[in-house]
Amino acid sequence: MKRSLLILAVIAIAAILLGLALDPRSYGVRVLCLILMAAALGQAWNIVGGLANQISLGHAAFFGIGAYTSTVLQVQFELTPWIGMPIGAVLAAVAAGAIALPTMRLKGPYFALATLAFGEICRIGAQAMSGVTGGPQGLSVPFYGDSLAMMQFRQPGAYVPLFAALFFLVSAVFAVMSHGRLGYMLRAVRENEEAAEVTGIDTVRIKLTGAIISAACTALVGGLFAQFTFFIDPDTVFSTTEISIRAALIAIVGGVGLLWGPIVGALFVVLVEEFLNSTLSDALPGISPFLFGVALVVIVIARPEGLVSFRHLVTDRFGKKGKEA
Amino acid sequence: MTTKAILLGSALALGALPAMAQDTIKIGAIFPLSGPNAQFGNSSVNGMRLALERMQEETDGIADRVELVVTDVPAPGDAPAATQRLINNDGVVGLIGSFSSSITLAASEITERAQVPMISHSFADQITERGYEYIFQISSKGSAIGAAQLNHAVEIAEAEGVDVSSIAILYEDTSYGTAQAAGIRDAAAEAGIEVAVDQGYPLGISDVSPLINSVRRAEPDIVFPVSYLNDSLLIVRTMRQQGLSTPVVGGAAGYIIPAFKDGLGEFTENVFSVAPANYDYVPEINADYEEAHGTFMPHEALMYGAALQHMITAIEEADSTDPVEIRDAISALEYCDGFASGLPGECIAFDETGATTTGFPIFVQWRGDDIVTVYPPESAREEPIWATAD
Amino acid sequence: MTPLVQAILDGLLVGGVYGVVAVGLSLVFGVLGIVNFAQAEFLMLGMYVAWFAWSFLGLDPMLGAVLALAAGFMLGYVIQRLLVQRVMSSDHVAQIFLTVGLLAVMENGALMIFGPDFRSVQTDAQMISYRLGPFFISAVYLKAFVAAVAISVALWALLNRTWLGRAIRATAQDAPAAQLFGINTRWIYGIAFGLGAALTAFGGGIVLSFAPAYPTIGANYVVLMFTVVVLGGLGSVMGALLGGLLVGIVQSASTLVLPIQLQNLALFVIFIAVLALRPEGLLGKAAK
Repeated sequence: MKRSLLILAVIAIAAILLGLALDPRSYGVRVLCLILMAAALGQAWNIVGGLANQISLGHAAFFGIGAYTSTVLQVQFELTPWIGMPIGAVLAAVAAGAIALPTMRLKGPYFALATLAFGEICRIGAQAMSGVTGGPQGLSVPFYGDSLAMMQFRQPGAYVPLFAALFFLVSAVFAVMSHGRLGYMLRAVRENEEAAEVTGIDTVRIKLTGAIISAACTALVGGLFAQFTFFIDPDTVFSTTEISIRAALIAIVGGVGLLWGPIVGALFVVLVEEFLNSTLSDALPGISPFLFGVALVVIVIARPEGLVSFRHLVTDRFGKKGKEA
Repeated sequence: MTTKAILLGSALALGALPAMAQDTIKIGAIFPLSGPNAQFGNSSVNGMRLALERMQEETDGIADRVELVVTDVPAPGDAPAATQRLINNDGVVGLIGSFSSSITLAASEITERAQVPMISHSFADQITERGYEYIFQISSKGSAIGAAQLNHAVEIAEAEGVDVSSIAILYEDTSYGTAQAAGIRDAAAEAGIEVAVDQGYPLGISDVSPLINSVRRAEPDIVFPVSYLNDSLLIVRTMRQQGLSTPVVGGAAGYIIPAFKDGLGEFTENVFSVAPANYDYVPEINADYEEAHGTFMPHEALMYGAALQHMITAIEEADSTDPVEIRDAISALEYCDGFASGLPGECIAFDETGATTTGFPIFVQWRGDDIVTVYPPESAREEPIWATAD
Repeated sequence: MTPLVQAILDGLLVGGVYGVVAVGLSLVFGVLGIVNFAQAEFLMLGMYVAWFAWSFLGLDPMLGAVLALAAGFMLGYVIQRLLVQRVMSSDHVAQIFLTVGLLAVMENGALMIFGPDFRSVQTDAQMISYRLGPFFISAVYLKAFVAAVAISVALWALLNRTWLGRAIRATAQDAPAAQLFGINTRWIYGIAFGLGAALTAFGGGIVLSFAPAYPTIGANYVVLMFTVVVLGGLGSVMGALLGGLLVGIVQSASTLVLPIQLQNLALFVIFIAVLALRPEGLLGKAAK
């Protein structure tokens, strides 16, 4: 585990250094932020999706709660996101607890669909509560120019350390959980819930803890997303496709349940998307999402365990050990 | 650096070459070309391409060097990265976009911080109410369009001797729908007209019977729907089915595009709608558009074509490709040629917030396969017909 | 009382359409055990088939729906044999995300082939409704409902009265056992997926009679379809049809007490409650 944490720290520091090397106003630096954000989001999802194998398709609920909480507190009370984001994380944890009660026992596709409906409920709720959220017209983060106190900067370059820190935090949480008692128990629940219960594991409490931590992490990512893009609306931050499915997608493309899965997944997903958008966007409308869909189909069929599994090809060929991530 | 400047300066003094000759000048276009608003995004880009083409034919200026860099932004979440890419990688000196208000809001957060000007035709009030310097809005705000939707309808009806005491507002719960519905609601309150039905509904609703049932029970004098195409067809048809003859005054978007006629045929006749602009001001440009695309030029094509021409002219005026100077030129310019002559004020100019000072909403009415400007009287091409459906 | 009865009538008619659109999703889940996120794209495709049939052959969308049925079957069968078959033994995650990839491919493929334009049909039925005392019955929704009932009866007969239907049901219940009895289950999986696609495409033809076709129309129906199959019981064919009626009625009747804006909120709350309390669906095993 120490080795994992060390590697994560190295990745985060490397990302910060890369950010310093790039032009702070550039598109490249924004892509770097997007990759770190995607990795953090995928990793947060991985806590329930990977360790407990509960395929949540409703993480947009927590992402949106995080984004809206810190933004609303800024708009209404000029509260800094440094405080607003943790509050958002707490609210998301409460929401996760509330939705876990009716859905915890569900398995596979049933759980996926229930969480999907929960995400939609939150989206409709945000749209309807226009007094607080601004409704469908969305909310702009108040303009402060460059202000560390309000976690806001003109240039995307300034966000690299923030995203790198968040990435490290969420990944470290995953690594610690994965190697620790909680991760062990979550995996036991995943393999065989009844057997886990017989051995004295309080499966309900374990799953609830996992869901709450995952939701809180997701909310932090949502809060920073709002600071980074300055504008949020319900369709964006509570989006089933752009957030919920994407969070799962990042983990799955890389490798579900593995620490390196969301990192590889984020690199792949963001880079392929941005490459397709920047080269093909004006060629033929629809071609870049089309090709992205093709890539997804190919990956799922060719590497159902995710891209990380390519590593085994290499290590196996050279006769090294390395089945465990 | 200084020698270059001196060389350039002397070249200018000699009048031999315009500043930075030969270089292409890139202008970014951010529009939803895929996703649910794809049709509107594509026709906006069609309008801009036509506007550029005509400008290149008609003038000897800078237009020949302008290249449009079009990028597909289907949703607001994609806007920041795309905007940044256009500014930093493609080196665009200004942006035009993005049809839907939420995409415009997201993109303009980036242009503001990068200090690159952007011209938009999205309706949302907030676009120019955030105190930003680099965003310009060529159409009236959603609230003003909503107010005009109500006030003009009441004026036309009362001129025909029809008294309006209660109305129904049906709007989709999108950014555009809620903003414009608020405009109608406020104007009704001011005019002392009762809002008998005030219903938002989810985008993509598959059966509007509940809405129409409530309209039938409330018996309002006018129905004001604010929606894209899908719901606009359902609302008009379901009213027809139930034999409701209450006049329908549409809220732009779905009510003033060729597909509205495709879906309803003869039942579009005499349907009113508020509109930010209409092609009948510029029949010659419309003929070009129709030849290329097979339909009349929808208002978004006209508006965005005008926005592009305004920006190109501003670059010419600024005699610079520095985005900050272009921004000042856009702000100072009053542009009244080409596509801009087809807008209601027949010009484009902005106040210090970037909102339009010349634009105002007009009323159009379906006549056969065309929509005709009928109100206010000084803009009208034909008289309005206040006919209740029989 | 009249508004309530009217709301139930409206909900029932449109609910029939929801049922047909969603039944394919339930069939695919019941037989293959796969939640197909791309299912609504067959609806979009069916709408285009029916639109071309209307535009070039002058066929009413209800007849065009039959062509859509055939096209949907062929495409569904091919997709299953070429792609879905390869993940039949994979994890749920892989299965779900294969269909998410298919969704992106189909939606954007349609955009590239057909363009972004809205395509609608004009039929007489769109402007007519029948009066029953104080009640209105929309002709176009009535026709859609009748078509939905007809296809449901045909489906029921196919599943219960033919060898193929018995083979499909046997495969759904216990694939290895079915194989022992000489059923080529791989082939049956292809047939079932094709049938599911065909039913949804047929539903698309019906939907075209009142809504315009465009590449992303599927997104308007996808969550609704999931709700229908969950209420009816995932995997249950007759349950999906009844679930459709129920969703139609809930959507329509809830508007009498809730703002229409929240009609889907009501639906999703019921959705989660049903999943939590009765995962076999409101209608339970009886509907299977």
